Amino acid sequence: MDGEVDDLSLLERLHAGDCGALEVLMGRYAARVHRLARGITRNAADAEEVVQDVFMTIYRKGESFEGRSALGSWIYRVTINAALNKRHGKRHEVETSIEEHLPGFDASGHRQGDLTYVLADWSQNPEAALLSEETRALLNRAIDSLPDHYRAVLVLRDVEDLPNAEIAEAIGESVASVKSRVHRARMALREQLTRHLGPRA
Amino acid sequence: MTCREAIEKLAEYLDADLTPEVLQQIDVHLEICAPCRAYVATYGKTRELVAKVRRMELPEDVKTRLRAFLVGHIAHTK
Repeated sequence: MDGEVDDLSLLERLHAGDCGALEVLMGRYAARVHRLARGITRNAADAEEVVQDVFMTIYRKGESFEGRSALGSWIYRVTINAALNKRHGKRHEVETSIEEHLPGFDASGHRQGDLTYVLADWSQNPEAALLSEETRALLNRAIDSLPDHYRAVLVLRDVEDLPNAEIAEAIGESVASVKSRVHRARMALREQLTRHLGPRA
Repeated sequence: MTCREAIEKLAEYLDADLTPEVLQQIDVHLEICAPCRAYVATYGKTRELVAKVRRMELPEDVKTRLRAFLVGHIAHTK
């Protein structure tokens, strides 16, 4: 496959106008950039513009990329900035507070709430039910309603499967902050899925 | 260990990114706490579902327009 060609030489070839290098770079990064851009902008048209902007930046500025960090991290950083710019002014559309979806505890630190709810385990429900149109739509809405910076790290961690340290580098935050946001985002989504899927009737 | 302490460390627990002592403390808590067992199972499944719902390939029409946009730009600036 294209594994032997390193990113730096592809960037040089792209800058020289080599469309073959463009194809390889698109194969490596376009889907990832698109998923992250879609995750942040929540909108297919904006996400497509972000992908074009990011690849234009790779073409124009890729030659000055010196390889001090992984190209992937740099591309994610460029994508996050471009997508957040696109979101500028649209911030309050559907965002909800993450706090209202975090688990409740009593004063002694034990789970609080209706017992059938805290015991609800829908993880073994049939895959077809877990991936039904209705559940997909609910989960997509729940992801879209997370605050911007939670969505970005959630996509990088759970969709792109990047290590926490690489995400921290891409977004310029500490590893502890990345871990905390990913965890809170997952908890908020779990809560909404549980309200939808369990307790079973 | 309380439920709050166990759930706080859940992401690291699933990544086995904790000391053996803390991992064991959580295991012991899970043995006696049904709500936390349900929480761990559904939290892990949530992570899987996010990946399944969002891990899509680049749509062909988007790819075609991206290629045309860039090739046109490269040809224009050369």
